[in-house]
Amino acid sequence: MRKSFKEALASGKFLVTAQIVPPKGMDIGTLTPIVKDLNDVVDALGIADNPRAVMSMSPWGICRLVLENGGDAIMHVSCRDRNRIALQSDLLGAASLGIRNVLCISGDHIRFGDHIDAMPVHDLDSVQLLETVRSLTQGRDMAGQKLVGIPEFCVGAVANPEADPLPPQLLKFQKKMQVGIDFVQTHPVFNLDNLVPFVDQAREKGVKLIAGVRLLMAEEVSSYKDGSYPGLFIPEDLLAEIQGIKVEKSVEIAAQLIKAMREKKLCDGIHISAPGHEGKIMNIIKAAGI
Amino acid sequence: MIVGTRKPFSEIKDVVSGDSKILIVGCGTCVAVCLAGGETEVTILASQLRIALGLGGHDVHIDEAVVERQCDREFLVDLSKKKNVTDYDVIVSMACGAGVQLLSDVYDQNLVVPALNTVFIGVAEGPGIWTERCQSCDNCVLAETAGICPITMCAKGLLNGPCSGTRHGKCEVNAEIDCAWVKIYDRLAARGDLECISKVLPPRKNSRQAHPAVLTHEAYKRRFVKDEKIV
Repeated sequence: MRKSFKEALASGKFLVTAQIVPPKGMDIGTLTPIVKDLNDVVDALGIADNPRAVMSMSPWGICRLVLENGGDAIMHVSCRDRNRIALQSDLLGAASLGIRNVLCISGDHIRFGDHIDAMPVHDLDSVQLLETVRSLTQGRDMAGQKLVGIPEFCVGAVANPEADPLPPQLLKFQKKMQVGIDFVQTHPVFNLDNLVPFVDQAREKGVKLIAGVRLLMAEEVSSYKDGSYPGLFIPEDLLAEIQGIKVEKSVEIAAQLIKAMREKKLCDGIHISAPGHEGKIMNIIKAAGI
Repeated sequence: MIVGTRKPFSEIKDVVSGDSKILIVGCGTCVAVCLAGGETEVTILASQLRIALGLGGHDVHIDEAVVERQCDREFLVDLSKKKNVTDYDVIVSMACGAGVQLLSDVYDQNLVVPALNTVFIGVAEGPGIWTERCQSCDNCVLAETAGICPITMCAKGLLNGPCSGTRHGKCEVNAEIDCAWVKIYDRLAARGDLECISKVLPPRKNSRQAHPAVLTHEAYKRRFVKDEKIV
């Protein structure tokens, strides 16, 4: 049997995770072979929760697909669409389906999505959600009521080393570590020096830092520039470099970033995202020599 | 109109108990009308604090002031003329949340704490124009967040720091708008008060917000409330 993500975290190996965006609809025909292939090479697949506020299948469904095909899944849990009752209820439901890893996030704002008149909930923020998950794993809900049957979760948080300015980000990251997390996954990083304060503080607290790496596509440059992707901040010179390039070159750029991060020991692992181009994740992993 | 209620006395006392020079500032408009922060209420709070802090052995000097509208810069000019505001350790504002935040903007070197919880809204930026500063959550955190309300000023209403979308200090939702958490951080950093936001703020107490809200002053309950119903 394959090792769980929790065991991989504890093993000290260089971690590799990748992101899967669930489909808008019921068809998982394209996704299934990608999930099967990636399960063989990654430590876990992170399943996004309606990223960019674009409505898609609940991450539960794809987490089950990952588990049934021999992999481990990290379920993203966004505070944007559910109040504290629904969040806790869904976490218990996920645990009952065998999902053991969760990534707690605030969630991209609804204005980026395809349901712009939806109510943004944010009853809890990501720090408070982390506290809630901790409470559930200790056998109590947020109201202090005792649970019958206690879930186990390996808990992750998010940080963005490319946010500007960084000090408020670091302050929030410190709060997340203060609550207690097992790993932190960053947004895509391009200026590697920005990882330094995050990885230093994470290591001080025994938290594993998984650095974000994103496949940059030439045809999406205008969207990168106009802010359509919240939290994705690409340096101007890199945007110029990817103008008109072929996907093979994009894969190479991502692989080079991974190599540089590993060489400089700026992270304990990487998280690869390639929304809409998940089939290229395997190419990136191979090109990076992992 | 803006309606507010005074915080429990123990909460106000706890916030100012380490300070020796306190300025209590009332507001002569909305919250005076709803009997929460006008001239009479300033006098009462000042007296309560003098007694309570005095009994606790604190050597405290408390001044009182009332401005016609704390939510309008025009009227704060008078306050500056009458009081040397920067001399005070703490300003206790008896305005609505909007007034507290405007005091914090104008006197950003001072600690400004709210004495009221606001039930509903805004500040005047100038004649005929108002901006939202408060969502009347009845659970004021302005003492911790530098007089800037993260629930209103952050697009996601986050209580424990910025989301991941801050770029050049601006909000991910609208590049024209400052990130509330960057403003909070910068103001506290300038004052050397980052400790204020180092602790995890708990989830909001949504049960305090009942819509549509009705507030009947204690003294008027006999007239307007019968069998716990408004008549």
